[in-house]
Amino acid sequence: MALNVVGQRVKRYDGLAHVAGETRFVDDVIVPGTLVVKGLRSPVPKGKIKSLDVSAAEKVPGVVAVMTHKDVPNNRYGWGGDQYVLAEDHVRYRGELIAVVAAENEDAALEAVDKMKLEIEEQEPVFDPLEAMKPGAPKVRPEGNIFMYGDSPCRKIIFGDVNEGFKKADIIVEGKYHHQGLKHAQMEPHVSLAVPEATGRLTIYTVSQAMYFHLTWVCNIVGLPMSKVRMIGGTVGGGFGAKNDVHADHIAALLALKTGRPVKWRWTREEDLLFSTFRGSWDMEFKDGVTKDGRLVARQVKSIRDSGAYTSLNAYVVDKHCFLVAGPYFIPNVYVEGYCVYTNKPPASSMRGFGITPATYAGEMQMNKIAEALGMDPWELRFKNAFREGEMTATQRVLDSVALIETMQALAGLVGKELPPHLKAMASTQKREG
Amino acid sequence: MSGGEFYRASSVQEALDLLAKYGAKAHVLAGGTDIMVKVNRRQLAPEVLVYIGECGLNYIKDLGDKVVIGGATPFAEILRSDVVKQKLPLLAEAVKHIGTPAIRNVGTIGGNLVTASPAADSSVPLLALGASVKLASKSGERVVPLEAFFKGPGETVRKPDELLVEVIIPVPDKDVKFAYHKIGRRKAGTLSVVAGAVIFKAEGGAPRGTAIARDQACYFEKCSQARVVLNAVAPTPLVAKKASALLEGSALDAELIAKVAKTAAEETSPIDDVRASAWYRRQASEGLVKSLLERIVA
Amino acid sequence: MYTLELKVNGRAYKVEVKATTTLLQVLREKLGITGPKVGCETGDCGACSVLVNGKLVKACITNALTVHGKEVLTVEGLGRPGAFHPLQLAFHEHYAAQCGFCTPGMLMAAKALLDENPKPTRDEVKEALSGNLCRCTGYVKIVDAIMAAAGEKA
Repeated sequence: MALNVVGQRVKRYDGLAHVAGETRFVDDVIVPGTLVVKGLRSPVPKGKIKSLDVSAAEKVPGVVAVMTHKDVPNNRYGWGGDQYVLAEDHVRYRGELIAVVAAENEDAALEAVDKMKLEIEEQEPVFDPLEAMKPGAPKVRPEGNIFMYGDSPCRKIIFGDVNEGFKKADIIVEGKYHHQGLKHAQMEPHVSLAVPEATGRLTIYTVSQAMYFHLTWVCNIVGLPMSKVRMIGGTVGGGFGAKNDVHADHIAALLALKTGRPVKWRWTREEDLLFSTFRGSWDMEFKDGVTKDGRLVARQVKSIRDSGAYTSLNAYVVDKHCFLVAGPYFIPNVYVEGYCVYTNKPPASSMRGFGITPATYAGEMQMNKIAEALGMDPWELRFKNAFREGEMTATQRVLDSVALIETMQALAGLVGKELPPHLKAMASTQKREG
Repeated sequence: MSGGEFYRASSVQEALDLLAKYGAKAHVLAGGTDIMVKVNRRQLAPEVLVYIGECGLNYIKDLGDKVVIGGATPFAEILRSDVVKQKLPLLAEAVKHIGTPAIRNVGTIGGNLVTASPAADSSVPLLALGASVKLASKSGERVVPLEAFFKGPGETVRKPDELLVEVIIPVPDKDVKFAYHKIGRRKAGTLSVVAGAVIFKAEGGAPRGTAIARDQACYFEKCSQARVVLNAVAPTPLVAKKASALLEGSALDAELIAKVAKTAAEETSPIDDVRASAWYRRQASEGLVKSLLERIVA
Repeated sequence: MYTLELKVNGRAYKVEVKATTTLLQVLREKLGITGPKVGCETGDCGACSVLVNGKLVKACITNALTVHGKEVLTVEGLGRPGAFHPLQLAFHEHYAAQCGFCTPGMLMAAKALLDENPKPTRDEVKEALSGNLCRCTGYVKIVDAIMAAAGEKA
């Protein structure tokens, strides 16, 4: 029987608008009289702001408004509530926003930024999360360089007893893996347009991937109830997690309210690449206990996430990493520690798969390493350990609708791998022996 | 910054008059693929732009023993030219790897040279071919070998009132051997980590794949007019003189290939930058020259 | 300020520009033609690709005054609903657009290719798109669409 959707070619509802060039992205919304924004950003990765004088900037012809943290009704925001809309006494990464200007044109805005007098006392930064964890490391934040999960410096996942597991193992395989930082490089740079309406409401054209979260943040920052702020979103020129954080909406909103004029802030690609959120790097250490016949009986993982200067989604990213780093394999004894560590870099945040992508990278490298240590076909090792129907994950979830074995069987066909008969005969519904 | 003047030169003479008048204030604009990037990034606010894209410097002339290319000729036209394909296949090969189609449509050979990036793509084949450039000013013309043209990153011997009007490229002998390769961070639209060309005239030597060639591993009995060229590994595009001299008059065998490659790498003075480390560039230079020579003898 | 006269999508315009104004600024800010996008302003991403006298250029690094007296074609002039260019229909049919931000530039690069080489190979299509970045699709569907459009034209 032919289905209506499954197996059929489905056209995008917005496809014709895309190919006509009619899709209106935020930067394509053009409102007459819109002011442009430029920001003064920290020139140093860590420092104490001694003084900031914006009086000359305010006098530049074409400049309509200049704002510092003093002009922001509520200066703290972000997923962790720890970010500053505009820096107060300290800066914690190069590029951190200190002051902003709205002007009639870009030249005036840039001239104003040039004329801001910033006195900053540079302090010793720390960039490597492993260094940042050491006692005596320069402090990114006064409370310390490690995010606290309650009273614990790390997220822990404990399942079974990993030390008992190691005792049952024939061999121990250890591996260290590093996953570099990555930028989303979405095609559409961060941009926002805020338009004060005659009704007293503020309309914000946003590229947000998390609009209702961001609506509450912006309302809080500008001090308006949600009934007074309308966000229009949905048309996003690529996000990949880059647009889960507010980069421009709050500033456009503040300046629109201050000036009573429409305000657009479009980050340059350079700003986007240097200063917006990204996938922070990971350092992951695995210690696995394996039996001679290829069963994983214990897995211990310690992972460290470079989170940059602020919490953003990093704590959650570490959570997801810890939940899934044991992989799609039944391992009766698991112990995971995940650390979210601050450094003097722009705040890292979400990117495709949150912390799971690096976990999969490291975990599968480790599986190959185990297979090599055992002299076993890496396919065989994965089939042997793959989750079966009804088994329990390290986070104590009992699985149903499991199909990893069947997926690998199909994959083998696609990549031209001839599986031995016993792997071909395997099924997720078969109960594991022993 | 709202200022800035724009002049459209309708002839070379008009361009030279404007350059004589404005001197160092003037920036010559052709395709704009370098200048406009700098303008957009606020690294350059030119007081005077002299546009030469439509002043009669877009041509490729076949003069028999040399090919002359107008300074404002876009790379796309060089790539399309039958004259270049037939007489200067090394240049044709290298131009394929410059920028991307839209960049080649407007980016010019003269602009690429005058910008004087150490990574200038066209410099590699042109230095290998022994090209010269003709600089014109209101007071006259001079021809400068390309090797003497570059002074440092972004610096050339061109005086502010001079315009690079022509690139003069001697046509190498038909039996000349050459190879070109560009190593970049990606296949297209990238600056080179290192790019290189090797060219020489070969005499004697065993036919390919013969027993003699295998046993003696002497591919050619004598090389002459040899040049080994690299870019992005020195303040200017580099003619590796010592490596070239090793080839000159010598019999080419596996040992010499290794020695030439090693020598060429020793002649580089690369820097660390976002594209590659100095260490990597030096290693890559040796590997590149070796592979170019091996490609020629393969 | 200088007076720039140009034709865009068949219509003549006269606008005032500075010596360093880009073609992209003219199209988007002066004429409200927003098909070409601002992606990088360094000529790298291709989201602003348009044709000038039939030649593919990056509007973000094209000095507007160098386009004086010339004809510009943007995605808006490629084809409209009811009279789409085969490339536009093929992109839609083959799911060659996801977020859609690169699509206007991709289409113009594809048009430039097919105008010069109506029956390209897949490799030639890839080469022609080498200056146009797409972060969503992985390019396969875009190449599929262009190959299909080239087939239809024959």
